[in-house]
Amino acid sequence: MLTRLMCIPFLLGCFACATLAQHGASDGSSTVSANDHGDPLLRAMLTELKRSQQKLQLGEFQRPYYIEYQLFEVRDYVADARLGALVRDRSSLSRFVHVLVRIGDYKRDSFFREGAGAVEVMPIENNELALRRQLWLATDKAYKVALNGLTAKEQMLKNLVADSTMPDDFSREQPVDSVLELPRLEAQVDKWKQILRSTSDLFRADAALESSMAGLQFRIVNRYYVNTEGTVTRHGNATYNVMFAGSGRAPDGTRLDRSHAYFVSKANELPKPEDIASETRKRIASFELLRKAPIIEDDYQGPVLLSADAATALIESVFVPNILGTRPAPSSSARVSGQYASYYKRRVLPDFFTVVDDPRPQKLDGLTLLGSYGVDDQGVRAEPITVVDQGILVNYLLGREPIRDFARSNGRGRRGLQGSPVPQISNLIFKAANGVSFEELKEKLIQMCRDQGRPYGYYVETTGQGLAPRLLWRVYVSDGRMELVRGAILNKIDTRMLRTDIIAAGNDRYIHHMPEPMPRSIVAPSLLFEDLEIKRAETPREKPPEYPAPLLSPRSQPEKVP
Amino acid sequence: MRKLTAFNGSRPLAKLTLLILFLSLGFISFRPPHSRASENANREPALLSIMQQELDRAMTALGKTDPAAYFVSYSVTEVVGSAIIANNGAITSAPSRHERVASISVRVGSRDFDNTHGGNRFASMSINIPLEDQPDAIARDLWLNTVRLYKQSAQTYQGVKTNTKVQAAEEDASPDFSTEEPSIAIGARAVPIKYDQQLWENKLRRYSAIFNKYPEIESSTLLLVADAPTKYFVSSEGGRVVTSRPLIRILAVATTHADDGMELARAETFEASSIEKLPPEQEIIARIEKIAIDLKQLRSAAVVEPFSGPALLSGRASAVFFHEVVGHRLEGQRQRGSDEGQTFTKKINQSVLPSFLSVEDDPTLRTIEGVELSGRYDYDEEGRPGERVELITNGILKQFLMSRLPVKGLLRSNGHGRAQVGMSPAGRQGNLIVRSSKAVPDGKLRAHLIAEIKKQKKPYGLYFEDIAGGFTLTMRGMPQSFQIRPLMVWRVYPDGRPDELVRGVDIIGTPLTALGRIMLTGQKLQVFNGECGAESGLVPVSAAAPAMLFSEIEVQKTAQGRNRPPILPPPGFEALPTSQTAPPTKQERR
Repeated sequence: MLTRLMCIPFLLGCFACATLAQHGASDGSSTVSANDHGDPLLRAMLTELKRSQQKLQLGEFQRPYYIEYQLFEVRDYVADARLGALVRDRSSLSRFVHVLVRIGDYKRDSFFREGAGAVEVMPIENNELALRRQLWLATDKAYKVALNGLTAKEQMLKNLVADSTMPDDFSREQPVDSVLELPRLEAQVDKWKQILRSTSDLFRADAALESSMAGLQFRIVNRYYVNTEGTVTRHGNATYNVMFAGSGRAPDGTRLDRSHAYFVSKANELPKPEDIASETRKRIASFELLRKAPIIEDDYQGPVLLSADAATALIESVFVPNILGTRPAPSSSARVSGQYASYYKRRVLPDFFTVVDDPRPQKLDGLTLLGSYGVDDQGVRAEPITVVDQGILVNYLLGREPIRDFARSNGRGRRGLQGSPVPQISNLIFKAANGVSFEELKEKLIQMCRDQGRPYGYYVETTGQGLAPRLLWRVYVSDGRMELVRGAILNKIDTRMLRTDIIAAGNDRYIHHMPEPMPRSIVAPSLLFEDLEIKRAETPREKPPEYPAPLLSPRSQPEKVP
Repeated sequence: MRKLTAFNGSRPLAKLTLLILFLSLGFISFRPPHSRASENANREPALLSIMQQELDRAMTALGKTDPAAYFVSYSVTEVVGSAIIANNGAITSAPSRHERVASISVRVGSRDFDNTHGGNRFASMSINIPLEDQPDAIARDLWLNTVRLYKQSAQTYQGVKTNTKVQAAEEDASPDFSTEEPSIAIGARAVPIKYDQQLWENKLRRYSAIFNKYPEIESSTLLLVADAPTKYFVSSEGGRVVTSRPLIRILAVATTHADDGMELARAETFEASSIEKLPPEQEIIARIEKIAIDLKQLRSAAVVEPFSGPALLSGRASAVFFHEVVGHRLEGQRQRGSDEGQTFTKKINQSVLPSFLSVEDDPTLRTIEGVELSGRYDYDEEGRPGERVELITNGILKQFLMSRLPVKGLLRSNGHGRAQVGMSPAGRQGNLIVRSSKAVPDGKLRAHLIAEIKKQKKPYGLYFEDIAGGFTLTMRGMPQSFQIRPLMVWRVYPDGRPDELVRGVDIIGTPLTALGRIMLTGQKLQVFNGECGAESGLVPVSAAAPAMLFSEIEVQKTAQGRNRPPILPPPGFEALPTSQTAPPTKQERR
């Protein structure tokens, strides 16, 4: 929201050269819904939308053919603690609206550069006049930037060779009316403050850690959406996140980081304090193991087993960006901007994989899936989509910006709090036929290494930033024993490896949560790669502190509440 | 770039949004400082002892490292505050916050030459520390970041040492850090400001709804901020200071556009040290109404023509003018460094103003003419007591606003090292006061203006009712001129015709020449309270001055904004015609 507000130039300098009206303002069939479902916010939005649709026109310039409002209501509770003391404790409620005005028609319109709309802060009270005034200002701004966007678009197209196969700018979709009950923030914040204090206090067990924290973010995001095609939607989602993290240093100066996060969508599904405590203790204990672990000395290229946890992180960075139906630059003839541009109906994974993006389920194996919704941020209903069928890419995920061979949205136009909606996954689920148990995968790894005459292979249990393994194990061929090592990175991971190097998958699955910029989840099993490169990390080793950390008492001082 | 502002500027809409976001991001939930009641008011706060203990450890260790630190300080600002923001009769946000921000300073080398030398003056670090007095948790945060900062400072120090060896000798070879007696002053901590939330939300709804009566107004915002910061300071020199200063501010701002696209904004601030001391409601309402009426008038006012001639500045306009044109150029750090303009650097003991004018900065002063001053403080961000400083006496420049960065001939701080929370201090203004010994009763100023217009045979003169801070370009390589933002300017005709409002006024010219043209002043000091932004962030300031008659001020038309007014009338005025201004021609667009 911030950047958008700062960045939108309000100049209307190009007015004189903007295209004059040639088309009717709308195609006649579209109309603003009259059903506000008794919601005063929707009423204010529909009233102003209708007025703008009917009357908004500057001089001889084209009228909008499409207007949409999406209002966000964000309620946040954020807190964190270090060593038993609260550092942050903040709650907030805010509303803001994204307004998009499109000029031109579905084939060629103003959605280009600054023509991407306007944002305005909105009252948190349902005062109709005050709400409508902010909508009025934002719509006016959005219309004016759309006029500039159209001019810029036309100038850009003039410099390109005309291509009649160029997809439309905006897809035609059925109107949707879907108004749901909204979630409420239900956690007991005082109780959770206390849990943060006690969780962060556990880090006292390892006085050699430099820093540590326990934090939470409870967030309700309610979305109100209306457009001039007759769509009215209202829905919300809740994300309750609790996490903790510690950071220290090995004797040689390399950084050691461990963290863990919980994500649920209902307050009563949050973990029990004793479970958080036991997970925290486990992570803390791993620091001592890591400090003692040897640094890998030689680069390795050969069989590597990735846990389901590590596999989802790899999928997030290597696979997900390439299945999004993001239109490439106008000068490009490619289908999408990602690496799978020329892989439509071709192999992208081994044939034992099928990948489905499914926004319907809220749970899997009793665990929360974050990326669940019914209607996307462009008012399009979302259904499950098979993205990869037996290894073959059969679909891209799309919003309302069509790409070659995909004229319609499949309900994946998703928006974070800022920016325009973009194609994104919901819950992306990898399923492997013939998945085997972890023990069998490990046995396979050992067998492969034995066949290749290697003394050991590698098992990546969990990864941190840039896919650098946080817990990396050597698995010895001789006796199957596992030895923790550190200081390594996974080198040169690309889409080719996903296509050709995975030789087996587990029957387990891990749910990887990505709350920002919009909630999503990835589900995948463990993966055995035939050939991955594990390389020594070239991270700078910091010099030790000039003087020791202050003493930690074994326990925090009790709160001196008067 | 620096300015004194009550939120007027070139991009009012963006500013307004910035403001709202700034506030909603900065605020966190209210929680009164921990364990206040259990502590004796006279006893040293636990936080200060924790800071002191960790500081001692840091200094003992870092004083022996190579290169050695010779100074470490910790400054913690604890803010308990809240705000209410309203638009057009509805609340937009009602955040509250409690936070503790620690700023750490580590100086490596020696006073004569340290890591802050040259372009590295701003070398502190700031972090959020626990809100609860958990000693080892706070100590660990301070330790971790002191170590980090020391490593940076040591590296910078080696770098500047090498650079200095290969560069030509500097013009000003003063030390990098002044020698001072440490202050020890344990004052009372701030008491969170209490007010009736519902009552004030209702007031802000009502105040903000005033703008609903005027279809000309585009965006508008009402804001109440109540902050009660307590500052804790310890230094390796033995300084120990606890000080607090509550501030309540109501801000009203509204914007519109003229038909030619000129952006127009008006703002009013009301500041006080407690809710009770705010002006009475009818005054607040009247001044908010005036914003709307001013904007309505400005929309249809003529655009100013280039003009040079006599002008009368109201006390408020003069105060802002002096803050921008004189105050900023008297900041100590402005006299040192090859990037600075150094307008006044070599003018100590020389005449810089007409001899009937004196300028002082007095952060110890609480009120002028019954108005509370926002720029008052007891101790600055470097733990120095704020001193009354005579900057210009009878037109003769005497000294500068000094932080602990010495300049040639001025080796001591005078308690003006100020900064926004979390930023490095610099010499800044507090309460800038302009006094005159050539004053006429305020009621007679207009007659003097008219006499001067006639004497110069000009068709009219100008009356500057209100000025907002703009940009004063004191950096070398830019012209030595100033541009401030006159908001309400009237043409005054000598033949008795009514005054005529003009818009789009820019004052041009060089500051020193303009100052020499002040002929006489009024008697009554007028106060402007606001926020001043510069390299050390936003700090609350006051400026007070009498109305002033200038024999000549040169103005030009300003180019500001090409945004059309909204096309549709605002909700509530649907029956009004739509704005159908023709698109600008090529000539108009330049």
